[in-house]
Amino acid sequence: MDNLGRIRREIGPVTPELSDALADHMNIRRGEVHEVVSFYSFLEVPADAVRVCIGPVCDCLGAKDLLAREQENANGVPVLGVECLGHCDIAPVLMRGDVVEPDVTRRTNTGSSLGLEQADQTLAEYEARGGLAVLRNLPAKEKIVEELKASGLTGYGGAGFPTGLKWEAVAKEPAPRYVVVNADEGEPGTIKDRYVMELRPHLMLEGTLIAMDFAEATEGFIYLREEYATARARLEQALEELRAAGVLDGRSLELVIGAGAYICGEETAMLESMEGRRGMPRLKPPFPSQVGYLGRPTLINNVETLAHIPAILRDGGEAWPRVRLWSVTGAVTAPGCYEAPLDVTPRQLIDDYAGGATEEIGAVVPGGAASGILPPAALDVPLTRESLREWNAGPGSAALQVFPASYSPLRLLAETMRFFAEESCQKCTPCRIGNRGMHHLVEELANGEAAMTREQAEEWLDAMAATSICGLGQGAPFPMRNAFTHWPELFEPLGEPAIK
Amino acid sequence: MSSMVRFTLDGREASAPEGELLVHAAARHGVFIPTLCHDDKLDPYGGCRMCVVGVEGSPRPLPACATRVAEGMVVSTNSNVPAFRKTLTEMLLAEHLDPNPGGRPNELTDLAADLDAEAPFILPDAKRKEYEDRNRLMGYTPDACILCNRCVRYTQEVMQCSALSLEGRGPHARIVPTWERSWLDTECELCGGCLSVCPTGAIFEKFLEGTEQPERELVKTKTTCTFCGVGCQLDLNVDPETNRIVKVTSEPHYVSNEGNLCVKGRFAFNFVHHPDRLTKPMVRREDGELHETSWEDALQVAADGLNRVKAEHGPQAIGFLASARLTMEENFLIQKLARSVVGTNSIHSCEAT
Ligand SMILES: Cc1cc2nc3c(=O)[nH]c(=O)nc-3n(C[C@H](O)[C@H](O)[C@H](O)COP(=O)(O)O)c2cc1C
Ligand code: SF4
Ligand code: SF4
Ligand code: SF4
Ligand code: SF4
Ligand code: FES
Repeated sequence: MDNLGRIRREIGPVTPELSDALADHMNIRRGEVHEVVSFYSFLEVPADAVRVCIGPVCDCLGAKDLLAREQENANGVPVLGVECLGHCDIAPVLMRGDVVEPDVTRRTNTGSSLGLEQADQTLAEYEARGGLAVLRNLPAKEKIVEELKASGLTGYGGAGFPTGLKWEAVAKEPAPRYVVVNADEGEPGTIKDRYVMELRPHLMLEGTLIAMDFAEATEGFIYLREEYATARARLEQALEELRAAGVLDGRSLELVIGAGAYICGEETAMLESMEGRRGMPRLKPPFPSQVGYLGRPTLINNVETLAHIPAILRDGGEAWPRVRLWSVTGAVTAPGCYEAPLDVTPRQLIDDYAGGATEEIGAVVPGGAASGILPPAALDVPLTRESLREWNAGPGSAALQVFPASYSPLRLLAETMRFFAEESCQKCTPCRIGNRGMHHLVEELANGEAAMTREQAEEWLDAMAATSICGLGQGAPFPMRNAFTHWPELFEPLGEPAIK
Repeated sequence: MSSMVRFTLDGREASAPEGELLVHAAARHGVFIPTLCHDDKLDPYGGCRMCVVGVEGSPRPLPACATRVAEGMVVSTNSNVPAFRKTLTEMLLAEHLDPNPGGRPNELTDLAADLDAEAPFILPDAKRKEYEDRNRLMGYTPDACILCNRCVRYTQEVMQCSALSLEGRGPHARIVPTWERSWLDTECELCGGCLSVCPTGAIFEKFLEGTEQPERELVKTKTTCTFCGVGCQLDLNVDPETNRIVKVTSEPHYVSNEGNLCVKGRFAFNFVHHPDRLTKPMVRREDGELHETSWEDALQVAADGLNRVKAEHGPQAIGFLASARLTMEENFLIQKLARSVVGTNSIHSCEAT
């Protein structure tokens, strides 16, 4: 992966000839390199290509027009539509090579855990705010697990697994162990990890080093999505500073750069990708905490999860304010990334943090593509796992996307299912075909036609949820089912729902 | 011997060696679980999901082809599993545009017929980019492929040629030889192994005679490959009407080759029906032409010739060249003939090169 990324940046798009040359050089079969190259979206695309985001937030703010305009004025530079670029706060957005347009602005607040409102330019600034104090004076392992459990911290990557339990499980497995930071943020609408890495890279790195000390891991990796060029530069600088200060002595912490594949954010797909294969999820169990990178026990956490760790260990789990970062985007006055309590409501996020809605609200998505699609009636529901369960939805990666009433729910649904279909790794039948089938169904509905009966559609969704290998296929039915419930009139052509 | 464990299968007590794949353990207890992406020669993959079964304690059904039996496991194959299986079959049919490109059996359409499954629609993007290969032995039709990845895994795990790739992602995924070259321009040796594991016949024998002839009607005769001393076991598939060999297959349980063959064993059987093939002994007489004769006479002529050379020039004037197609026992007899009967040590086999 590393070599392929370097070829793309230093020589040009990976061609069959370059792929073969690399295979011969590395003494591996040419076919195996071909498989990997073709899996990722960007390896065969020049580094200066224009990438226009067609994620849902950008789509509702005019991405298709932007894409058409760019394609018209292309001048020979490839222009492609890509899934969420993680800059939904300045939507519609594009990247010319590594440069984001329009200019990046960041709106955030004074939080009680991460302190994102004040950026750390250097390690010295970070240390002046008390940085590295926890790492330098780390409590015993049992104490760390105890504090994490007391804090109630759950993974902020999307799955929401209790962090204390995960750490405890990894520590029980035999050494050597690895630590991997999931910085592949690709969930549509999610911009929070980028904020953390761009504003307080040292904070995330301290959390990572704590995790490595805890797991007695001498090697750690940060799997960063390729599109985050600024975050990459900030992390590289921060790592250099830490290295110079001797903080990294005796251990290595490396950046691994993705190549455009949402599924690589799924932890086992990420491990496959790190090992130089196609990013196709592994069967679980075993879990990465048991069998992870190179077959060794591996602790994988999201950027934001790790960034909260220093505050939790400093102030104690009980005292930690139970907050997370909410990406608030779409039809709001001040789209941005705000730290707020776990039980905040959509209305509070929109009005109290993001300056209010710009238009009448038609639908909100609480936390990423698979978190569900909710009607305005849900605006006062606390966005906790428990209360959203009643709505057959979840907080996911806490990416509140606000869609105006003028944007049809069917269009939102179609874009969402198209996203899943495109980003499916294709390994398993229910996800590879089910998502395409659902996309087809929704597109047909927009023309007033029914491609299948409601009963059949529900059978397909049941099979997707139950038999898919990973969270992508398992989660994809949520927005469809929400739409069945909240916008039944859109599905009338399908006939009666099945009686359960 | 691994230890035995007890588990429950559809409410009945069952036992199996610890670590046995569920699909095998169930089969031994008379419960047949259909599979598409599984192949005993390959590592468990769990991609098609056709074999999922309910396992108590697991939030979702698990693939029987990749899940190993453990003590106390409670497995059910008859709750909601059959419904999933039917839906998954429907899904596969929704992009299965060409069920029979080359006359090989198709496990997907067989399964669909068993389950009475039909695609509700054909996906608008079901059509895959076509692929034509200029080699004369194997063809491949992307529109018949169900992306079970068996062929690619075979090329990587068994043949180690890696000449096939699973290319692309999502709706664009497809199987092709490396960078869409001809098989002839890859590391492929045309052994046909990838073809033999393909469950849908997407990869097929190109020269198959009478492709309209379904395989079931061919008569199989088990024999040993005559091409080399490895002695692979294979089945000649003969069309009873024409009495001609249509193709060669092999079974995973055959000793020595476990169903694998090389290009010669699998594809080079056409000499059997070739008009130039000698089927009777022939002797070149004084007129310089070959004449049909009996075995007795032919052997006599050969023996006379050898004796004459030996008498005139001594035994060292004679050398024996053994064919690579002989078995070890036959090679032993040749050197016996050379050393004790003729009295020469000049023996060679073309296998030595
Ligand atoms: C399709 C899919 C995409 C995912 N993408 C991300 C991602 O971009 N970032 C992330 O941190 N976790 C992502 N996850 C969740 C990870 O698999 C994993 O649960 C997480 O990295 C664990 O860290 P945490 O416990 O700190 O959340 C994704 C999961 C799935 C199924
Ligand atoms: S659910 Fe989708 S992304 Fe996950 S393994 Fe299956 S095909 Fe791949
Ligand atoms: S025919 Fe044999 S050598 Fe060729 S790709 Fe298939 S398995 Fe590999
Ligand atoms: S060609 Fe055959 S074996 Fe290969 S993936 Fe397709 S269906 Fe499976
Ligand atoms: S199939 Fe190939 S390897 Fe096997 S006996 Fe025949 S020639 Fe030898
Ligand atoms: S046969 Fe088990 S998943 Fe395909």
